[in-house]
Amino acid sequence: MSSTAYILSMREVSKSYPGVRALDRVSMDVAYGEVHALVGQNGAGKSTLIEIIAGALHPDGGEIVYEGNTYTHLEPWQAIRLGIQTVHQENQLVEELTVAENLYLYELPVHRGGVVDYAGCRRIAQELLQKLNIHIAPEKKVRTLSFVDKKLVSIAKAFARPVKLLILDEPTASLDECGKDILFEIIRSHKAQGLSTIYISHNLSEIFEICDRVTILKDGQKVATYSLSEITMDEVIRKMIGSSQVTLYKRERACALKKDEILEVRNYSRQGVIDDVSFEVRRGEIFGLAGLVGSGRTELVRMMFGLDPKDSGTLLYRGQDITPRNPYDAIQKGIGYLTEDRKGDGLLLSRPVVENMSLASVAKDNRLLLNLSKEYQEAVMLTERLNVKTPSIFQRVVNLSGGNQQKVVLAKWLQTQAEILIFDEPTVGVDVGAKVEIYRMIEELVHHGKIVIVISSDNPELVALCDRVGVMRNGRLVTILEGDEVTEENIVRYAMGVCEGMEVSG
Amino acid sequence: MAQGFSAVFRKRAPIEQAYILLLLIVAISVVTTIVNRRFVNPTNIINIFQQIAVLGIVASGVGMLLVSGHVDISVGSQVSLLGVIFAMLIQKILGLPEGNVAPWRQTFVYPIAFALTFGIGALVGFVNGVTVVKSRANSFIISLGFMSAYHGLALLVTGGASYMLFGRFETLGRGRLFHYLPISILFFLGVVILSYLILKYFRYGRFLYAIGSNRRAAHVSGINTDRVVIRAYTVVGILNALAAIILISRVGSALATTGDAYALDALASVIVGGVALSGGKGGALNIFLGVVLIGLIGNALIIMNVNPYARDLVIGLIIIAAVTLSQLSESRS
Repeated sequence: MSSTAYILSMREVSKSYPGVRALDRVSMDVAYGEVHALVGQNGAGKSTLIEIIAGALHPDGGEIVYEGNTYTHLEPWQAIRLGIQTVHQENQLVEELTVAENLYLYELPVHRGGVVDYAGCRRIAQELLQKLNIHIAPEKKVRTLSFVDKKLVSIAKAFARPVKLLILDEPTASLDECGKDILFEIIRSHKAQGLSTIYISHNLSEIFEICDRVTILKDGQKVATYSLSEITMDEVIRKMIGSSQVTLYKRERACALKKDEILEVRNYSRQGVIDDVSFEVRRGEIFGLAGLVGSGRTELVRMMFGLDPKDSGTLLYRGQDITPRNPYDAIQKGIGYLTEDRKGDGLLLSRPVVENMSLASVAKDNRLLLNLSKEYQEAVMLTERLNVKTPSIFQRVVNLSGGNQQKVVLAKWLQTQAEILIFDEPTVGVDVGAKVEIYRMIEELVHHGKIVIVISSDNPELVALCDRVGVMRNGRLVTILEGDEVTEENIVRYAMGVCEGMEVSG
Repeated sequence: MAQGFSAVFRKRAPIEQAYILLLLIVAISVVTTIVNRRFVNPTNIINIFQQIAVLGIVASGVGMLLVSGHVDISVGSQVSLLGVIFAMLIQKILGLPEGNVAPWRQTFVYPIAFALTFGIGALVGFVNGVTVVKSRANSFIISLGFMSAYHGLALLVTGGASYMLFGRFETLGRGRLFHYLPISILFFLGVVILSYLILKYFRYGRFLYAIGSNRRAAHVSGINTDRVVIRAYTVVGILNALAAIILISRVGSALATTGDAYALDALASVIVGGVALSGGKGGALNIFLGVVLIGLIGNALIIMNVNPYARDLVIGLIIIAAVTLSQLSESRS
């Protein structure tokens, strides 16, 4: 094929953030009249890639060839003018404006003198919606629409301007069957005009239904591009996971499990978020929670810790009801929760190490005065035990590296003497050395008879660390993998809903 | 290595801020002394402290609140309102100075006046705190609303006139221990020391820092953040009651606007002192030095024969400079 057959060619595009190589010399071609799928696990670099195409990010290296012109980077306005329209995963509509105003927000039709022509705006919006076969009244306020209709309006918005390359990021996540049919019809007619689409989705069956080719990304690198007629779903999954990678860490599986001392998680639900999740964690094992981002893992444990409201759900430990009403209550009852967002709700960045380490314990003990000397002793001890690299315990946490910051949060929960510990993404943004140390620490806790739940998007981490792994999808716990079943491939399969039989039983 | 260096530097940062303030205070004192010898006179120094006593009490409450990342700009109106209530109670119970006063009135006037003023002070602070916490709105805007509301309330209570004490109850504001040390200074220092102890040694003080540094992390760690913030506002109200009583005792009468200026001055003191606007930083020493600096500037301008109206201009510029500098050093790190 000559290069003119491609509307877009990415050539060796790279993008780095401090400590992370988000994209590493990725090349990709999108042909005219093609629907091109982009797949990969969480953090594979899909979002970074499309943001570069849409001009929201500037690459560090490589070039973008679009319709025969070469660019080192694009600006958002430039991409839009060139006909690259992106439908983002999250709703970016102005809720208080009408559908018509949202569709033509940046090019509102005006009368002579610059006054907005609302009637004209409504008319062209009506025409556009009709053409796309979307039945929504253009004079309605976006606020009053359902999630599905909002998504359809977002999609229509891309067509309010000339569009040659349509980028869809997880478009069906908030669409029902009917909305999906409308979308696929739009994609097909777009394709029939010889125009192109980049389609990002975790739903492989959709990709096989609508797309022509697929590019697979893994850890910021391109694995390959395949024509979808020459590859199976299983093969796509295997490529996403990659070939047998060197396991960083391997732990001895737990042997002696005390059957009577279990944490029972019963019937946790919240409308539209979590759907009747129940499982048990035995003392002496590490229980993993896997799932795609947005599958409800974090929402579930936040409810378990008493942080977020729930419709139902009970926590039983040794047969006793310990369902916490709020975080304070949870801590009193021996639960610790290392949050996913270290800087957002884990650390007091402007405060010293010692205060961060003692925070939850100080809140737990109902005393009027602080016990400063005990506080210092504990901090020194924990700093040594966890090998926190800090010049002193009076150092402000903001000056520590990611791994050491995470150890400080870990120390905070160790100091409360919690019996049940929930770790949400314990090694995100942590260097390899600190990662292994955190794994060792978690393992040691289990040996001391604590109940441990680990949430992670890093599936090899779960495989290496956990005795059993519960996989969540769309707010439900679809399976619990045990023993030899705990493999990366199984986790990904269940998380993406590829196993058909399971869908029914789950 | 680089991290090690910056670490050492950072740990000293808060102390350095106090040094800078001390340096500034010394510099202003030296310049003022050169212009006018009277400045270093012990009488003048004591005078300055007496003048800043009320401000210092108000600023201690505001400072501790700001450590938690919350602002109350209604403190000026609160002091005015509480002062008016205190003076009104005394005047209503004791009547005009010529009249005969029943003995029970003589006995109970001060307990009643104190109890009600402190009670209303606590209530006012509590209401502010609950509103800020429950509305989840910006505390600056909420307290702006209360500033106007309390001002209006004070006007309603006085009807635009003033309540006089007719020379009664002068001891607290004007009295001197051993005919030398003003009693109000003792209250000021007492409140500062109490603030120091609370912020450093009390669980409640630690909670204030935690909430100011990261409210969500504090919540996850088991701190009832709403309750702590409401308490901090209540403390502000109680300290304002004390400030109002001392102020009215010194001035001898109460207008609906008597305490209004304390809102700006108290906030200026704690910000200039180095309590971060975003919360989580600063201590009682910072509050104290900030108050001294603000008080000093007013006094120095008078001593140096500068037009006293220039005071607000100078203080305004100093606030802008202090916030700009701390913002710059913040964004650098």
